[in-house]
Amino acid sequence: MGIKIIKFQHQKIKLNMKKSILNLFIALISVCTGIQAQSITGSITDSEDGEPLAGVNIIVQGQNKGAVSDFDGNFTISDFENGSQLVFSYVGYKTLNLKISSTDQISQNISVLMDKDLSELDEVIVIGYGSQKLSDISGAVSTVNADAIEASSPVRVEDALQGQASGINIISSGSPGSKPTVLIRGITSYAGNDPLVVIDGVSASIDDLNSLNPNDVKSVNVLKDAALASIYGVKGGSGVIVITTKSGERNSETTFTFNTSVGTQEVVRTIDVLNASEYAAILNEASVNAGEGIVFPNISDFGVGTNWQDEVLVDAPIINHSITASGGSENTSYYVSAGYTGQDGVVGGGEKSFFNRTNFTTNINTDLTDKTKLLVNTNYTNIKGKSLAENGITSVLSNALNFDPTVSPYENGSFGISETITQEIINPLAQIDNTYNQNKVDKIQGKIELQHELMENLNVTSRLGYTYVDIYGKSFIPFQFYGSGHNQTNANPDLSPIVAVDSEGNITSTHNRVNESHTNYFNYTYELYGNYDFTVNENHNFQTVAGFSIGENKGSNISATNEDVPFNSWDYADVSAATGNATQQTSGSWQYVSRNLSYFARVLYDYDEKYYASFTGRMDGSTSFGKNNKFGFFPSASVGWVVSKEDFFDNIEVLDYLKFRASYGTLGNDNISPQFSLISTFPSYVFNGNITPGSSLGSIPNDDVSWENQVQMNVGVDTRVLNDKVSISLDYFKKTVDDLLFSPNLSLYLGVPSFPTTNIGSTESTGIDASISLNTSVGALEISSNLNFTTAENKVVAINNGDKYIWGAGYGIPYRNIVRFEEGYSPGYFFGYVTDGIFQNQEEVNSHAIQNGAVPGDIRFVDVDGDGIVNDSDRTQIGDPFPDFTIGWNLNLAYNAFDLSVFTYASVGNDIYRAYERNLNYTNRFASTLARWTGPGSSFDEPRVTFVDSNNNNRASDRYIEDGSYLRIKNIQFGYTFPELLTDVWGFDEVRAYFQVKNAFTLTDYSGYDPEISVGGVLNTGIDYGTYPQPRIWSMGLNIKF
Amino acid sequence: MKNLKTILLLVFFTSLLNRCSDHVDYEAIEGYQITSEIYFQQESDYDAALVGTYDPLQWLFFNIQLGAIASEISLCGGESATDYIGIQQIDDMTHYPENNVLRQMWQFLYEGVNRANYMEENKANIDFDGKDAMYGEVYFLRAYYYFELVKFFGDVPLFTEARLTAGEAGTLTRAPKEEVYAQIELDLQNAIGSLPDSQSQLGRVNKYTAYALLGKVLLYQDKFNEAVSALDNVIGVYSLVSDYGSQFLRFGENGPESVFEIQYSNQSNWYDWGCAHCSEGNYAIIMNGPRGWSGPEYAQGWSFNVPTEEFYNSFEEGDSRRDATVLDIEAFAATTGSSYTEGYDHTGYFNNKYIPRAGESGGQTELNYLTNFRIIRYSDVLLMAAEAYNRGGIDDGLAQEFLNQVRRRAFGDDDHDVSASGTALTDAIWEERKFELSLEGHRFFDLVRTGRASSLIPGFVEGKHEVFPIPQQEIDISGLTQNAGY
Repeated sequence: MGIKIIKFQHQKIKLNMKKSILNLFIALISVCTGIQAQSITGSITDSEDGEPLAGVNIIVQGQNKGAVSDFDGNFTISDFENGSQLVFSYVGYKTLNLKISSTDQISQNISVLMDKDLSELDEVIVIGYGSQKLSDISGAVSTVNADAIEASSPVRVEDALQGQASGINIISSGSPGSKPTVLIRGITSYAGNDPLVVIDGVSASIDDLNSLNPNDVKSVNVLKDAALASIYGVKGGSGVIVITTKSGERNSETTFTFNTSVGTQEVVRTIDVLNASEYAAILNEASVNAGEGIVFPNISDFGVGTNWQDEVLVDAPIINHSITASGGSENTSYYVSAGYTGQDGVVGGGEKSFFNRTNFTTNINTDLTDKTKLLVNTNYTNIKGKSLAENGITSVLSNALNFDPTVSPYENGSFGISETITQEIINPLAQIDNTYNQNKVDKIQGKIELQHELMENLNVTSRLGYTYVDIYGKSFIPFQFYGSGHNQTNANPDLSPIVAVDSEGNITSTHNRVNESHTNYFNYTYELYGNYDFTVNENHNFQTVAGFSIGENKGSNISATNEDVPFNSWDYADVSAATGNATQQTSGSWQYVSRNLSYFARVLYDYDEKYYASFTGRMDGSTSFGKNNKFGFFPSASVGWVVSKEDFFDNIEVLDYLKFRASYGTLGNDNISPQFSLISTFPSYVFNGNITPGSSLGSIPNDDVSWENQVQMNVGVDTRVLNDKVSISLDYFKKTVDDLLFSPNLSLYLGVPSFPTTNIGSTESTGIDASISLNTSVGALEISSNLNFTTAENKVVAINNGDKYIWGAGYGIPYRNIVRFEEGYSPGYFFGYVTDGIFQNQEEVNSHAIQNGAVPGDIRFVDVDGDGIVNDSDRTQIGDPFPDFTIGWNLNLAYNAFDLSVFTYASVGNDIYRAYERNLNYTNRFASTLARWTGPGSSFDEPRVTFVDSNNNNRASDRYIEDGSYLRIKNIQFGYTFPELLTDVWGFDEVRAYFQVKNAFTLTDYSGYDPEISVGGVLNTGIDYGTYPQPRIWSMGLNIKF
Repeated sequence: MKNLKTILLLVFFTSLLNRCSDHVDYEAIEGYQITSEIYFQQESDYDAALVGTYDPLQWLFFNIQLGAIASEISLCGGESATDYIGIQQIDDMTHYPENNVLRQMWQFLYEGVNRANYMEENKANIDFDGKDAMYGEVYFLRAYYYFELVKFFGDVPLFTEARLTAGEAGTLTRAPKEEVYAQIELDLQNAIGSLPDSQSQLGRVNKYTAYALLGKVLLYQDKFNEAVSALDNVIGVYSLVSDYGSQFLRFGENGPESVFEIQYSNQSNWYDWGCAHCSEGNYAIIMNGPRGWSGPEYAQGWSFNVPTEEFYNSFEEGDSRRDATVLDIEAFAATTGSSYTEGYDHTGYFNNKYIPRAGESGGQTELNYLTNFRIIRYSDVLLMAAEAYNRGGIDDGLAQEFLNQVRRRAFGDDDHDVSASGTALTDAIWEERKFELSLEGHRFFDLVRTGRASSLIPGFVEGKHEVFPIPQQEIDISGLTQNAGY
């Protein structure tokens, strides 16, 4: 007979804890009799208030046995094997694992004490120069933890934020490794809306996330409002993404994890264009309509012809491997990882399009003395990539959509060519074959940090963060042939150079060309700050921090080009191997440096965890600012009130928790360069037939230029209901930006120098972020679900640049502007003509406002300004690429060893502008052309086809606008954790296998590849240039711990 | 021990802060940039700034193109009815204040004016030999830019002291064109006073270039007597080349007939489409080429600025200028077995003076054609002199002589001499300008200044189309008035 007490104690969480609510005691009294175990009984109670817990699930792991506690918290399990593990789970409580010693027979009552799981609220999150309990925060923050990132297994970590956190909007592209558009709480600036990224305390940018292995990330916190972000001052205007990477635990044995997944990517949707015989028929009609003869006498010869999209879209592999080791001794902890991600492009395939990343990460944390800690984080990344042309009229997809379907992919051993298309559009397979480039990135990112406890509760941190990047790029333009007279052709059919002899007998020739370039970036930030936490009169708790930050960003590039690469071969494509003479060689270089110096301080206060307040301020100085405005100050404040802690609240049983928050403060944006009255040595002229260098005034300075000043207001409420099973969080925000940075459009009679960036605009954004999460269980089925809702309404209030607007992106040949950033409108809206059906007959043309060149069958454009003439001034707002709202919904189910997570994302109200059509007479057309106008009453929305489009039916208009709303099942992951019996045999601690489908299903009315369209900038969003679709990815993976 | 630590830390902290005070200052030298404060301190700075003042000449390709397209002898062409909409509208006389081509032209011309003014602003900084002659070039160039402005837009803002600053945006009003002309004449007189008779480098203007331009400026104002006295200085200084067509080929550039040419080169291998005009090559050339051309001598282009059949047929029998001016593409393709595709407004004819010729471009072929623009040729001087002598009632005999010099070269004989006088002679001179100078940028402005535009150009509205509209953007920003009718 013996008594055994098993005690579980969780580590106390630091920072001003008064009482431990995380303390966990499990007392287990076991009676050993020496007889084989048969059954066990016990009772389960709440560790804090001793209330019995009914409905707790008890599972005997690895065996098909279990029980549920009754109304009094009692349970009985019989007939289980010795050495089994009991798993107690109950919603809102922490799951308990109890191992029954193999030799013990248990028949006595055991008491099990379960702890409330307040982990989510008591989670301590990093907020910049310190950390805070989530429940203590009175600003607006969203958090995403490692589980959610793992479940989506993204190539870039920010892709995992989509829909997982409210208030953040991510628009991704399917191109391997490409940077998405990341917007935190709307669009406020023209100059840039990328949030600041802080990795383990070190400032970085969204661009830097290409080198971070998502597997190394422990948590991501998004600081959304001024109260939290203003500790980053002028950099915080677009929000802050705080990333914490994994670290080892002290006093723990080394744990190894090995994660691997292998998948394949496929493009699910293609765009409906004309097949060969449809193409021939339509072209015949277009030619006849223009008064010319028939182009293809025998349409029936063609059949369906070549589907160029099928030719270029391929299934491509994606693989991920990572291995980590973590653990620690009494004085040191460590986390070491190595990772590899390889993604091939679905457009064109992996030979010419891929993103391969290798990471090595080492995070070490050690005690130098009992008061001094050293933290060294180092991340080395190597990226290799190749890419094909994307997002434009010369992209592979544009060629696939526009190229002649009557041409065969290959003819007589070479690529098929079109005799009729002589501009831009080429056989996409030939294009892929003729594209040669490579990109290599070596990057070291990390920090060296000393933390010293100067006295009790006063810690000083000295941190040097750095990033060094070396980028080498090479591209080769070989001799290529797309048909005689085609403007992309630079060689004869046999790929020999085209030699021309002029009237005087001088010989000139075409050349192939190679370019190499080296780019270096080096950024460092040194920060020194002290954290002092103290309590006055028991209940007045303070957390304070003050310090300064000094940093520098540098970049430089040098590039060289030469012609005449031997053998016209990529193998010999190198400036050193090319044989071009001195006049054929060109070189270039650039460099920049910017520096900043900042002082910051913050006081967090609470009274008895009931009333909260915070004050934050940062003073930023930057080389970017004008001479007269070197330093800016960005203060903020917030208050919070936990109503549920008030005595009067005890009567309100519906709500388990209620907290109100409010914040107000200022932030900035400093996306400008230093300004001077500069002499440009770019101008030159020709004397004696030789180019002679000259000079002119290149730019005019503005000594008063300063940061964009952003004022943000946030109010929020957090509550929990239904026995803490449901948590709800709701925030309303308003941001106004004054002093928006712009290059003004000054009088044209000032000529062409670059005009100084000036603070001359303002914007306003308002919106609501909401999230609701549920944790419950039904029998052995555990359910957790989380719904996020994000909306933001943006408006440009003023642009005092003369024109009141700035053009964003455009498209096509001839180039058509389409996006505007304009006073009184939402930023980046679509601008063009409004269509009003088709002129059915000449009377309709005559009775309409004067529309030059219009005949029956042409589009009727609305005379918006009513001046009787349809012209440029009739263009107006025709769409908005940004959604009215987005919703992300996560559902996680666990049943015994099985787990399932499904993530659904919806974007509603985003418009798409279709811009992939080249509109040459002989290029292919969108399939809707089949429903064209052929006579009165034949069509009311699709104009006639003609080789002479005198009405300019192709002008930028709402004809090309489509509703891009969509609902997408982004991710389904189904996992199975092998029973311990089996894994023990294998020698592992835990083995989980999973099957995953990403972008499984999309519900949308949009006709293109993918309604989620981004080229990476706010003023270039929602335009479908033949966008790189996000593929559906099928993958299988393993997570192993040992 | 503990105190020592604290002291050390404080010392470290304060020393850092001291070091930091100038951390966020930035000087242009860190980026290897030259600021205006240290410029115009040596002669070579002036040399460079003068080159910079010539530079915008190269951006004025549309000025030349529109001189033909806006007239009746050539159509816009291009890929389709919407290819380069701004030029199509000008071809059809349906253009209005929002027009990219006109806006860019306006801005480019004023950049030229500002660059000249920037030199004026810094004129007194230092002295060196040859400074006066150098400023002769500056004043010539400013006169040229203002003359183009007044030709295209009529009344325009006029400023001469200094480059405008950002603060002066929106502060100017349009000066009457008479004032602008007065300034042009003044600048040219100053240029004549200081320019040398000849320059060591081809492409630089000399005294006679200034006289020739002055003569033209005066003729545009119907100041015939003054025009005669200006142009007389140029007569005999240059000579007509015997083979009319040869001067439009590569090796005819800057020849004995050339009074003023805008210089281009194919050496820069420019390939930035984002700034096509930044090339040292002539961007107009690719526009005028046959589409999808596969054959000898020429190179493919975009089929703009296509001469009409009517114009081709209006050349007299035996006029050597027809084939030098207009390329009959069908005939040429047939004889050489070449192929091409037809563009919009296809007439079967191309501008043979400014056309892509095989091997004359470099790098990105579209952007680097070396072909110079012949701005003032000696035959133009002769015809201007003839017109001034005739219309001023000064000497019809001399007028006939100058006219017939041009005709004899064209026909290779004197059988085609003109013996008319009075208004018949005027008509003959005007008609001669059409054949001699066609597609070189003169036609539209000749028709306007002689009052014949409305009768010859379809869609031309009298009282409106004599000048082009002030760009809408400039009106919005600067509050300028618009020209009548727009």
